[in-house]
Amino acid sequence: MNHDEATRLMASEKYLLDELSPEESEAFEEHLFACHQCSMDVRAGSLFLEHCKVELAAPAADAAPDRKEDTGSGWFSWLKPAFAIPAFALLLLLVGYQNLIIYPALRTAVAQNRAPRILPAATLVRGVTRGAPAPAVIVRPGEPFLLPLEIPTESTFSAYAIELRGPSGAVVWSLKASSEDVKNTLTLQSPGVQEAGQYNIVVTGLDSQGNKLTEVGQYPIKLQFAEGGKS
Amino acid sequence: MQFHAFDKDYLEKLKSGEFRTQEHFVSYFSELIRLKLSKRMHSTAEVEDARQETFARVFTALRKEDGIREPERLGAFVNSVCNNVLMEHYRSSSQETTSDDEDGEANIPDPAVSVIDVIVEREMQRKVRHVLDGMEEKDRRIIKEIFLDERDKDVVCRELGVDREYLRVLLHRAKKSFKSEYLKKMAKQTMKR
Repeated sequence: MNHDEATRLMASEKYLLDELSPEESEAFEEHLFACHQCSMDVRAGSLFLEHCKVELAAPAADAAPDRKEDTGSGWFSWLKPAFAIPAFALLLLLVGYQNLIIYPALRTAVAQNRAPRILPAATLVRGVTRGAPAPAVIVRPGEPFLLPLEIPTESTFSAYAIELRGPSGAVVWSLKASSEDVKNTLTLQSPGVQEAGQYNIVVTGLDSQGNKLTEVGQYPIKLQFAEGGKS
Repeated sequence: MQFHAFDKDYLEKLKSGEFRTQEHFVSYFSELIRLKLSKRMHSTAEVEDARQETFARVFTALRKEDGIREPERLGAFVNSVCNNVLMEHYRSSSQETTSDDEDGEANIPDPAVSVIDVIVEREMQRKVRHVLDGMEEKDRRIIKEIFLDERDKDVVCRELGVDREYLRVLLHRAKKSFKSEYLKKMAKQTMKR
């Protein structure tokens, strides 16, 4: 399918409306992935419909009052000086707070996420002998760290649940890895923690329904805070 | 129209793992891949897994010595990789009993949402509201019943006395009105980068 044909057939609309046959869909997709105009068109249409769902799902009452005439006691009563001056002062304070405190902090966080940096990483060893020291890694409070993890694969498991348990044994975070993922060494990026101490990565095999079957291994790790951090 | 040309320079940056180019590439094809997959898969978890698998394979292939060399074939290549992922999914689904598990978690989280993204989203929502407000009540009802309530299109058309052609034209017009806002969004995201 070429662009003229796609335009003439209204292929973008038909694609979004699921009106193309499987063969037509495939032919259009071949064109779509290579044509920037059709790609923009379909993406814009898809986004429009997604937003429409949100908008149309909202109760009608949300939109209706906007169209009401001003009777003096409705929306425009907010413009009376008695309300407007304190309201605008409050708004200014809020805008100032957002611009001076919240946005710079968020921008810094986003910039930090995008900048390359060196993260501490732990070497995990499965089933450290009781009494033997767990591998230690020095981190800063709240700073992410890397956990290269090698999971022994077993064909009986469809997927694996990986949990980080804190010093109290409580689950700090968990995620799921497919059997395909674990064929290679996984490198997990853990969100930073606020408490130093003995942590444990616990890996459990899952069946195809996501039910936990048996524990595959435990990888203890000692998180120590760098000087100047809490410990 | 805001757009990075898929030229030799773009392909080289992509192969070398340049972050912004990769980010643009993923953002550009994600929606197309999601749409394609969601027409053929049952759960959002399956779609998300297959989307990630498609990108993983594309990036692996790109980094190979004998990987893709013609930038103009990039889109077709992504589509063919996605087709392969789908084929494998069909094969494995026919071997295993299907699971209706909807709560599977994606392994790779989406990038953090920035303040600018939130503002852009609000602007787009406002534009959609504006487009919907400009429609006749009947047209709004058609959109709602078909896309939100997911009712049968033929039944909705019959009840409201319109045909399928009317539906396409309605979507075409609405999309056209919204597209300017969408292009602004793309431009803002580019400036942000």
